[in-house]
Amino acid sequence: MPEIVEPTKSYLSVHYELRSAKQVERRMLIDALHTLGEDGFRISDYQYTGMGSIYFVDFVLFHKLLNITDMRSVEYDVEIRRRVRFNKPFTFVKIFINDVADVIPKLSVRKRHLLWMDYDSFLSEKTAIDIVLACSRLTPGSILLVTVDVEPPIRNGNPQKWKEYFDEEVGHYVPPDESFAKSNLPRVNIDVISNVISSATAPRGVEFFPLFSFLYRDGHQMLTMGGMFVAEDEKKRMLESRVLKASYIRTDFGAKPCEIKVPTLTRKERIFLEGSMPCADGWRPRGFELDEDDVRAYREIYRFFPVYAELFL
Amino acid sequence: MKQLANAHPRKRFFLEMFTRDLSLEDCVLDLIDNSVDALHRTRHLDLSPPLLAELEIPKQAAKAKLPSIEVVYTDLEFRITDNCGGIEREDALNEVFSFGHSAGFKGGQLGVYGIGLKRALFKIGKHFRVESKTTGGGFVAELDVDTWAKADEKPEDWTIPLEFIPGVNADAAAGTSIFITRLTDEVKMRIKDKTLEAALHTAIGTTYAVFMDRCVRIRVNGKDVRPMEIPVGESAAVTPGHKNISFENGKVEIKLIATLAARIRGEWSSERAGWYVLCNNRVVLAADKSELTGWNSGMPKFHSKYNGFIGLAFFQSESPGLLPWTTTKRGVNGDSVVFREARVQMLLVARGIISFLNEMYPSDLYEQPQQREIADAIAPSEIRSFATKPSSDFTFARRVSALKPTVRVQFDAKRSDVERIRRHLRKSAWGASRIAESTFNYFLENECPK
Ligand SMILES: C[S@@+](CC[C@H](N)C(=O)[O-])C[C@H]1O[C@@H](n2cnc3c(N)ncnc32)[C@H](O)[C@@H]1O
Repeated sequence: MPEIVEPTKSYLSVHYELRSAKQVERRMLIDALHTLGEDGFRISDYQYTGMGSIYFVDFVLFHKLLNITDMRSVEYDVEIRRRVRFNKPFTFVKIFINDVADVIPKLSVRKRHLLWMDYDSFLSEKTAIDIVLACSRLTPGSILLVTVDVEPPIRNGNPQKWKEYFDEEVGHYVPPDESFAKSNLPRVNIDVISNVISSATAPRGVEFFPLFSFLYRDGHQMLTMGGMFVAEDEKKRMLESRVLKASYIRTDFGAKPCEIKVPTLTRKERIFLEGSMPCADGWRPRGFELDEDDVRAYREIYRFFPVYAELFL
Repeated sequence: MKQLANAHPRKRFFLEMFTRDLSLEDCVLDLIDNSVDALHRTRHLDLSPPLLAELEIPKQAAKAKLPSIEVVYTDLEFRITDNCGGIEREDALNEVFSFGHSAGFKGGQLGVYGIGLKRALFKIGKHFRVESKTTGGGFVAELDVDTWAKADEKPEDWTIPLEFIPGVNADAAAGTSIFITRLTDEVKMRIKDKTLEAALHTAIGTTYAVFMDRCVRIRVNGKDVRPMEIPVGESAAVTPGHKNISFENGKVEIKLIATLAARIRGEWSSERAGWYVLCNNRVVLAADKSELTGWNSGMPKFHSKYNGFIGLAFFQSESPGLLPWTTTKRGVNGDSVVFREARVQMLLVARGIISFLNEMYPSDLYEQPQQREIADAIAPSEIRSFATKPSSDFTFARRVSALKPTVRVQFDAKRSDVERIRRHLRKSAWGASRIAESTFNYFLENECPK
């Protein structure tokens, strides 16, 4: 029996606030949403549906920075239902102790949605169905984000075993000739999710406009994909939006994803670097060792880099 | 210099290719469709309202008075006779025998492509006689197919001789009889095989499950065909998923229903579970569990735990050509735009039941989910009762206390192993479950500390 890795109950083991790569991702998403807001998409009127778990970091940020007030958090782990309710960050957040698959079909067709299925598990038959449901339900203008764990889905496995896993779970959507080498697993996930989205969206009169394809790791390597369902009108506005200029945007899931790398820096180094940003390609600080890759990585993320101090609010 | 290549049709093509993949059941259903369409033309029977809701269900005595369609066969002859109103002479001259309908022809709501009758006649035998009478007059068309096929030179060869005969005085007597003789070898073989009758009963009973005994009676070799029951269930604790949509600017209306099945002899039947697709109330797909209706693509793969799932998709239109049926009308054209769009909605409507059934069969055997009680209390219901219900999401009355914080852990272990642990613990008085509990706690504390 191959050993399928148990989904991590990450919310119980990791302080969500302290995952810096994830935080950079959230800040980039907010940056993009903010720009979309300026370019004619009324993001503050969107309904946010997310999986806030017990920390609700995404909820806090989306409310405070984007002024979204119509929010619902879905949690299917009944064992933490009271913790979830207890930690609800604002009065207007509605809590659903339910599977996201049961909430999606009931999302209003009169609203625009921001739906983030922020799984801590691997892509599976179940998550693929959730994505299909979202693509079947969300109105044009709505934004879908999906996060999955892209580590090998079977511990002590090998490419053959991983292939079997994907064939069994989402065989339909796996492109022929896909390599299941460990280094290619993020690509396998991207291709599958992209196929799920396009096949589920095709029968509707809307298109999916890709915007995000992030890879990052705080512990496990994670992938977030996202974009907007667009009809002609939204597509036109999207093509004119300045959001497309942002370096983290990916309008083609075939492209290399945006890898979020958070270099380890001391506070003093960070302050120094910040004063030199944005820097030219190939620039390196003279006063201490830091290779070009790290500088480049820092240049990509410094605007979104969370600052942690002892104080924890 | 421009030349003209010959692109004339050939009779052989129609005789051989059109009939090639057709089963005898397909033919019989095509012939029945023709009879039912006569009811539409002459008696204004409208097949398009979902579930024919306004049509009363006749009492037993009244059932005998319904128009009827009789299918009778021996190994020499195949006969289908109806008193459904007959075919007007003018339609006989211009439409009924031509391949394909003219653009404006409003022949009915089940006949779509204008090939069904011809195809069925050619498939079953080499000689046919179609006799039809309305109050306006009657006709007979008789044809020896082999002789007809030989003359294939000029457009006039593509005609069928009609003879006008007197009509009838009363509407109730108006109808059509079709006699087919010199049966083809294929058909003779099917007839010799004694399973044909049962197969026809099933095919007809399934296909016309919604009409039968309400607007028409159908008999095969003198025996009444019984409509198939679509076992929809009902319970005060459950609201079915139900949605109405319209496509093509309202020219196609769709009603989707997903609900729990009624139990048959205390069990959910896997044979009856799945999606039913109906076009103008004619069942074109029954109990489907394939990708066509979304299983394993947006819905999970079908599994016995979904035996309690019943989905109904009604497609209705005044223009049957807009509906997603295949040419045999015994399947759905999965690529049709209308069907693909509808399938998106089917997934959403089905979702609640799927989750209900998932929770009903948790991977943990010792749990007793509330869903079981609800399922046990489901009573059979009439699909017609859905016709007038408003749209709703599938919900069930969930008890808040339904969740127990503990599960019962239970397993078999070798006596010798339990004894070994007992000795190791030096607790000779401890029973097996006490020992199991202590090993469980040991693991919990040492291997997965908080
Ligand atoms: C990674 S956490 C969410 C973190 C949060 N979105 C943030 O940005 O801080 C995922 C949560 O979703 C829950 N979850 C996973 N799959 C789910 C599903 N199908 N339906 C509802 N909740 C789910 C998990 O139990 C967990 O609490």
